[in-house]
Amino acid sequence: MFISQAAIDSFSGEDRLMKILHTPITEEYIESLQVGDMIYISGKIFCGRDAVLPKICRLFEEADLGDIDLRGSVIFHTAVSPAGVGPTSSNKVEIEGSIPKLSEAGVKLHLGKGAINKDTVAKLNEFNSVYAIIPPVTALLGSKTISKRLVAFPELGMEAFYELEVEKYPCIIAAAHNKSIY
Amino acid sequence: MDDRIIDIVSNGLVAAGSSFLHGKKAVYERAIAKEASNHAKWTLETILENALVAEQNRSPLCDDTGVPHLVLDVGPNCAITGDMLESIKEGVRQGLRKLPGRPMAIKGNDTQRLDQSLGLDEDPGALDAAPILIRSIEEDKIKLHILMFGGGPAIRAKTYRVFHRSNVDNVMDEIIEWAREGTKLLGCTPSTIAVGIGRSHYEATSLMLQALVDGTYDKQSELEQRITDEVNDSGAGALGLGGNNTVLATFMKVGPQRALGAHVVCMRPCCCFEPRIATVELQ
Repeated sequence: MFISQAAIDSFSGEDRLMKILHTPITEEYIESLQVGDMIYISGKIFCGRDAVLPKICRLFEEADLGDIDLRGSVIFHTAVSPAGVGPTSSNKVEIEGSIPKLSEAGVKLHLGKGAINKDTVAKLNEFNSVYAIIPPVTALLGSKTISKRLVAFPELGMEAFYELEVEKYPCIIAAAHNKSIY
Repeated sequence: MDDRIIDIVSNGLVAAGSSFLHGKKAVYERAIAKEASNHAKWTLETILENALVAEQNRSPLCDDTGVPHLVLDVGPNCAITGDMLESIKEGVRQGLRKLPGRPMAIKGNDTQRLDQSLGLDEDPGALDAAPILIRSIEEDKIKLHILMFGGGPAIRAKTYRVFHRSNVDNVMDEIIEWAREGTKLLGCTPSTIAVGIGRSHYEATSLMLQALVDGTYDKQSELEQRITDEVNDSGAGALGLGGNNTVLATFMKVGPQRALGAHVVCMRPCCCFEPRIATVELQ
């Protein structure tokens, strides 16, 4: 997919105060984030949803993550298909249920959409992780995606565990330090 | 099969999946201008920017590219043939590959499709369209409306009977309550609410579909405006972040009604990109 740099720069969020976040994320950076902060995410991020996230949790519990390094990472709740990427609801049982364990494993930012419950917000705080929401803007995200790599569970097809390299994915911090935007 | 029809339908499907409905950009611009919440305003601007990029690239507005739903309008002196219907189906298949659609067809027999034990077909074109709705029109043409229905609104939609107790307010209040609940859970707001009211579940759902085909952002009936305003009073806002724009408009069609104490209502809280729809002329 091709889009001109001018078109990307015209993205209206540029005019607002946006924090820039590069992965991997440090503990100190997470501590500086507040609910409502608008940020751009750049760097490598993981992608997974209902089918694969419980499997990644099990790999962590069994100390069998291999070369998957979750420390300081972002996990985007999305499938990766020829149609592109876009957030699915993070409050689905398998997705929200994976957030505490993945935070314990080192994931610093969970990226999706929709409200998550108070217990999950508290668990995020326990592991100094945050939850951010991203508008479902597949075409725009396609223009900001540099590359993709299949990481694990290829049999799940578009719901496998992927890694993307991205430039300025726009999002809003929705839960941090035991507070929620909802 | 008719190659001309296949080509028209496949291009129409790509347009449906990658373009805003006519007039929707102006609706977004007005919503942005009046939005009080900074977060919601930023979200609306981002959704509008996405629409511009999708239109420019003819790429999907959303990664949930949706299940094709088809409405066929037939003029008084026009005839539909079996070959024409097969050409439409082939056009849908080719359009899904061209968009490209998300590969979402579930493989296997009844049981395997229900528990998804065989997984998904990798071919975007393997996704069948829903049954075609056919209606007569005054124009001497055959027109096909292609609508792409995403999963989020389908999960939050509701078709159920409503006891009217001889008062339209009872019906409106019920629809508004459903719409408030649905849009709050939807996530991908601002929504366009689609409503059909009929004598059976089938009729209500087909009226909901027709409401999307015939509805326009430029004109709202008194009842449509009432639903829009009262759902917006909930303050859920764009992406659930609060603000003035939970709903952009309501498209409603009221069909014939039973002489009983109940109507059947179908309410679909469409997502921020829906209705994803394109209309093509086949004859």
